[in-house]
Amino acid sequence: MGSEAPIADLLSHARTIDVRGVSMEMVVKGKGPPLLLLHGMDGVEGAAALIDALAQNYEVYAPSHPGFGTSALPSGATTVDDIAYTYLDLLELLDLRDVVVVGFSFGGWLAAEILVKDCSRAARVVLGAPLGLRTGDRRTRRVADIFVLDEREKEARMQHTKAAPIAVAELSDTALERKMRNTEALSRFGWSPYLYNPKLAQRLHRINAPVLMLWGEEDQIAPIAYGKDYASSLAAASFEAIPQCGHRIYVDQPAAAAQHIHAFAQAKI
Amino acid sequence: MKVWHFSEQAYHPAFETPGAMRVTLPARHCDPVEAGRLINRYLDEYVLADELGFNIMVNEHHAAATCMSTSCLTTLSILARQTKKARLLALGVPIGNRDNPVRVAEEIAMADVISGGRLEVGMVKGAAYELFMSNRQPTGFMDRFWEAHDLITAALSNTGENFAWDGEHFQYRVVSLWPRPIQQPTPPIWMTASSAGSAAEHAKLGYVCGTFLSGAVARSVFAGYRQAYLEAHGKPANDDRLAYLAVVSVANDRKTAFARAEKMKSYFSTAARLDPQYRNPAGFLSVKDNVRMLRAGPNAVRPRLRDGSPLPSDPTIEQYIDAGLMFVGTPDEVFQQLKTFHADVGGFGNLLMMGQAGTLDHQETVENLSIFSAEVMPRLGSLSVEPPDVRYEAFA
Repeated sequence: MGSEAPIADLLSHARTIDVRGVSMEMVVKGKGPPLLLLHGMDGVEGAAALIDALAQNYEVYAPSHPGFGTSALPSGATTVDDIAYTYLDLLELLDLRDVVVVGFSFGGWLAAEILVKDCSRAARVVLGAPLGLRTGDRRTRRVADIFVLDEREKEARMQHTKAAPIAVAELSDTALERKMRNTEALSRFGWSPYLYNPKLAQRLHRINAPVLMLWGEEDQIAPIAYGKDYASSLAAASFEAIPQCGHRIYVDQPAAAAQHIHAFAQAKI
Repeated sequence: MKVWHFSEQAYHPAFETPGAMRVTLPARHCDPVEAGRLINRYLDEYVLADELGFNIMVNEHHAAATCMSTSCLTTLSILARQTKKARLLALGVPIGNRDNPVRVAEEIAMADVISGGRLEVGMVKGAAYELFMSNRQPTGFMDRFWEAHDLITAALSNTGENFAWDGEHFQYRVVSLWPRPIQQPTPPIWMTASSAGSAAEHAKLGYVCGTFLSGAVARSVFAGYRQAYLEAHGKPANDDRLAYLAVVSVANDRKTAFARAEKMKSYFSTAARLDPQYRNPAGFLSVKDNVRMLRAGPNAVRPRLRDGSPLPSDPTIEQYIDAGLMFVGTPDEVFQQLKTFHADVGGFGNLLMMGQAGTLDHQETVENLSIFSAEVMPRLGSLSVEPPDVRYEAFA
């Protein structure tokens, strides 16, 4: 049960918020300017270490995306495009301004989908190994297909830090349900087209806040070359490669990621 | 008792290839000339089954050496013309994986008219791993399944004006079946179940409910069906609403029957050869079912021996017989095994008989079917009485 303690601690900072009829779970932690953290494939619990680091300087808002954690699914939502609207509603409801918007992996894709619709509340944008652009060509895959990797290989490829094997028997029902819900939501939004929206590329120019892109040098899910192409399609993006770091930047290098985010958020541009 | 001959129509030469038999097995292992020879052989056996008084069941799988029938209705279209008497059962069409339900309805109608109204149609969820080939969305699968079912049955039963369909998953400007099926309102519909809960759903609709190689679980499946049927329809379900699938090897002497059963056993060992990550595509099962499955562990879904212990991973023929997955021996022995099982599970009116499985060759299959037809089939009437055969309504 030791592995669940950080989750329980993180979730003690969670509240439930009604976003136009959609019940969303949201961790709020720290003091400072507002920072919206959009989690990756493994749910808000995966980002616990980074949330702690960022909470030193920011008021971190870290919701579980619709369908993940204990957040409800808006009626009829089947795409990331759909849930981006839920986030626009959330930002309006909280009336957050000059927000540092940070998203990793799936959450980086979600950040892009939100910001192409309305970037007016974002001061700075940090995307960590975002998905959402084409993950392959007709006959070649650029991003590893996590839906056909066995659990052990998937975990091994996800992060540079050696992952402790997950013993299902030791997880509480709550932890197991969260894990299954996260997997289900990822399938709902990313099964096909595989973790991308074919229409996103044509919309990216609408993101007019400064963008920092972070990428793990050892990313075995979305290779760094995919990241460089992604950065070049965002006109104003700077790019930082992080050594000793895989796809889960927030697990492998939470301190380095927090430093990059803070430096970028404070820099005069 | 109706008996249905069934073969998965395996490309058994691939069984020698190491590794998975489904999803990932490369196409280069298939010699298409050999595949054609084998499929024609299996079709010959189906034609013989018709002559011997069997009904016929076919299935489909995709990207699998264990089953070359990639479309039930393509296979049955051939048999619709080449057979004379047999009822022709597609069990089944994986309608949650099909892009185009109206196309499914068209194929059903076409096979039904060619056969003179002998078609029966299973609409099945299908094996979870089929989603990797169809690539349809795993989440919301059953919603899509039921909308496809509603649309297909609406199309088949429509004897009036054309209609449009504006659903959640499917939209059509014009639904119009030319030809429309002979059998009205639809050819008999089948579904499959491996639990009392899902059987109860089929009972409410009055559909035939089949359970495959489930051994003692068939008892709770059938009980669930019977209870729900009685509640929904106010009368008990006839045995003809229930079906059980098992492997049968019958010969004039026990030794030959067991030797053939050993060859048929390769059906079980090859069917199981699938890389584990394909067993449960993300989002296919509900969160609740996933949690329950993970908690229960892998032994929970294994068939049981009569003493309640799980069937071991490489069972003997005797253990398969004990678990009710195989019926093997002389005609007397096979009849006794069937009689016992039939009583144990509370009765059923359809035996879905794998008369060919694994590497059982043509001559052996011919003998298996012939001996069963001559010496076992006539005695099955004593187990389960068939209701009168209503072929189709003349004044529909």
